[in-house]
Amino acid sequence: MEFKKILFPTKFRELAFNSLESILELKKAGLKEVVLTYIIPRDEVAFVPFGGYMKDEEERLREQARIRFENWQEAITAEGIESKVRIEVGNPVPKLLRVAEEEKVDLIIAGRKKRTVLGKVYVGSHTLELVRRSTIPVLVSKYMVRFEWEGDLITRVNDHIFTAPLLATDWSEPSEKALKLVSSFKGLADKVMVTHIIGVKISKGLDKSELNRIEKESKERLEKYCDRLKKDGINAEPHLFSGRSAHEIVRVAREHKASMIVMGTTGKDRFKEFWLGSVSHRVTEASELPVLLVP
Amino acid sequence: MRLGKWLAIIFLLSIFAFLVPAMATDQEVAATHDTEHGSTHGAEHAVAETGHEDVHAGSESHGHGDAGHGGHGGHINLGEVLKLWTCIPFACMLLSIALFPLLAPKFWHHHFGKVSAFWAACLGIPFLIAFKGVAVHEILHIILADYVPFIILLWALYTISGGILLKGTLRGTPIVNTIIILIGTVLASWMGTTGAAMLLIRPFLKANNYRKNRTFMVVFFIFLVANVGGSLTPLGDPPLFLGFLHGVDFFWTMKIMPHMLVTAGILLTIYFFLDTYHYKKEGLTSAPVEEGEKEPLKLVGTHNFIFLGGVVGAVLTSGIVDWGEVNTLGIHRAVQDWARDGFLILMGMLSLWTTSKRLREDNDFSWFPIVEVAYLFIGIFITMVPCLLILKAGLKGEMAFLIAAVKEPMHYFWVTGALSGFLDNAPTYLTFFNTALGAFYPGMPEAQAVPLLMTESSIFLKAISAGAVFFGAFSYIGNAPNFMVRSIAEEGGTPMPSFFGYILKYSLVFLFPTFVVVTLIFF
Repeated sequence: MEFKKILFPTKFRELAFNSLESILELKKAGLKEVVLTYIIPRDEVAFVPFGGYMKDEEERLREQARIRFENWQEAITAEGIESKVRIEVGNPVPKLLRVAEEEKVDLIIAGRKKRTVLGKVYVGSHTLELVRRSTIPVLVSKYMVRFEWEGDLITRVNDHIFTAPLLATDWSEPSEKALKLVSSFKGLADKVMVTHIIGVKISKGLDKSELNRIEKESKERLEKYCDRLKKDGINAEPHLFSGRSAHEIVRVAREHKASMIVMGTTGKDRFKEFWLGSVSHRVTEASELPVLLVP
Repeated sequence: MRLGKWLAIIFLLSIFAFLVPAMATDQEVAATHDTEHGSTHGAEHAVAETGHEDVHAGSESHGHGDAGHGGHGGHINLGEVLKLWTCIPFACMLLSIALFPLLAPKFWHHHFGKVSAFWAACLGIPFLIAFKGVAVHEILHIILADYVPFIILLWALYTISGGILLKGTLRGTPIVNTIIILIGTVLASWMGTTGAAMLLIRPFLKANNYRKNRTFMVVFFIFLVANVGGSLTPLGDPPLFLGFLHGVDFFWTMKIMPHMLVTAGILLTIYFFLDTYHYKKEGLTSAPVEEGEKEPLKLVGTHNFIFLGGVVGAVLTSGIVDWGEVNTLGIHRAVQDWARDGFLILMGMLSLWTTSKRLREDNDFSWFPIVEVAYLFIGIFITMVPCLLILKAGLKGEMAFLIAAVKEPMHYFWVTGALSGFLDNAPTYLTFFNTALGAFYPGMPEAQAVPLLMTESSIFLKAISAGAVFFGAFSYIGNAPNFMVRSIAEEGGTPMPSFFGYILKYSLVFLFPTFVVVTLIFF
């Protein structure tokens, strides 16, 4: 499993180009083509009350995007990677998903490139919707973030994001897929931290012997994951913790200086997510690190 | 001078303009009371809740089960004292809708809500200062009795029809196109012109994407599906629903069937020949080669027809049953009207819950158009309050000249129509509906006057209804679905004529003669 073709949607916000540059590192992992995409929100140009459609405005936005992309394409070509431009009109998230399907991409890049105001979450509603609905892996990139740690306000630039990924696994099928994806990071990753959290829901009410059994079993599984990565030529180390899953993943990633978090996601719909919650989506919101979600 | 300063000046002028005559009205009222009751009461002592105002609103609009309190002898009727210029904010609101999309579309697209709020404030604030309780009552009345049900119905029809998707491969031959337009024309009366237009416009465009000249097709689609087709029931077109809210029977509107059949018949026949001509001219006498696999026609989300049935049933029931009244913020509304509104919301919610998001996305469903209509129409409804009151006052109001001039059914048809073509047809309908009430039954409560208008003066109501609905097609701004269809067509790459191009090349050429024929036959 490789990232040969990626979709890079943008709204041309500040630092978007820097974010793109950081992604081009994937060339070492087999990246061949980048599809640069700009979705003109339909509501920006269509349904002018009692008017109609602002064709001129659409043309202006298209032209503006095309010129910007031309510049970006030069940088991509300089890296020896092919590129393509898609400028479409529509509802952003469904349109992006449709373009991703049509282009048969292996990865979608999403998320804010910069967050300057201190906030509790690092992703917007569009990104969350994309993450929830995509059947293709999504990398929530978060190029520049500001967060509070031990009373200090820290600005972090996530540029070399593939050097020390933390693979958080719950042994599910998407986690298996995530492991296979991380295997393609050879040449990019110095080491992979394979992490499992024994969740509160699981450990609650269990006697010590049962807990020991789960711990032993988890360690064995972690070792197996690490062995598989090592076999592919990637240095890997196991980490086992217990507690509230999302909270622990964010903490461990921060403390072990991970460069990104990789997780499987079961893709709960809005209703299920509201009632059951989703660890991967909570990590995506709460972590200052880029998060790669593998459905 | 900056725009903000101009707006502030307009706003202050409107307050000033209202306050001076209001003081005069106070004196007039005081004199009336001195004479009749030996006591002095100003307009500000009006008690809106009871309807026993010193300055009252005249024949209040009360439709199905809504109690009327018109005609208190010896009291000043607000419609008789209001000056003609109090209609200026209404005129400005409608002119904004007509001119901004032409002159400053980008500004309008982003600030239409503020423009609507501005004109509503220009009328509403001074009106409230000048006439206090009565003004509160009038504004609340038009919001609760007209605006709220109006928007709820539009929202429900828009939401439900947005959950139905026509999939599959169609080839736009003259026969197929004529059948699509015919189906849309029939559906429009039952799912609203907006609903029918939104359901069929994308398949219609897709079916004809291989055709060179598609512009005339979309224009005739606007004529028939987005306008003429909606003339048979109150669900079809917003003006007719406003009539229903004011007491016109659900099935009375069927009386416009002959007018509709003649209009639709003429336009469809012209369309067929026009399409055949272009089809042959484009050298498309044989079916074009299919690209890719042919997808069979399929209607998805058909369970939404159940909800449409629910909407029809709810509106129909609210016009038949009488469950008493309920006082909401001093406004008397029939229980069945509230129940209907609640049921329509339920139908819309059920449609949202039971229809897949993907289907709506395939339909390119967006809330934006309905939000626009909601923002604009709150401005329209508030600013039109004085206009309606003056018209209801009949020959005693400042629009006596209009009432005196508009006498014959053909006058009502053409004047309602001409204004509907260039202003939105819903407020225009209500204006001339009230003109007719003022002309034939001045001072009579609406609950009594409307049944008479439906029976002994029915030709006038037919003329107003047909004029409002048919002429809605005359320009892009005549009816809300027109601009939605135009927007979708242009987005899909079908060139559409300009505002004036539409009128000169199509409306004057095809609609005008058709309406002359309708006039000669029926009015």
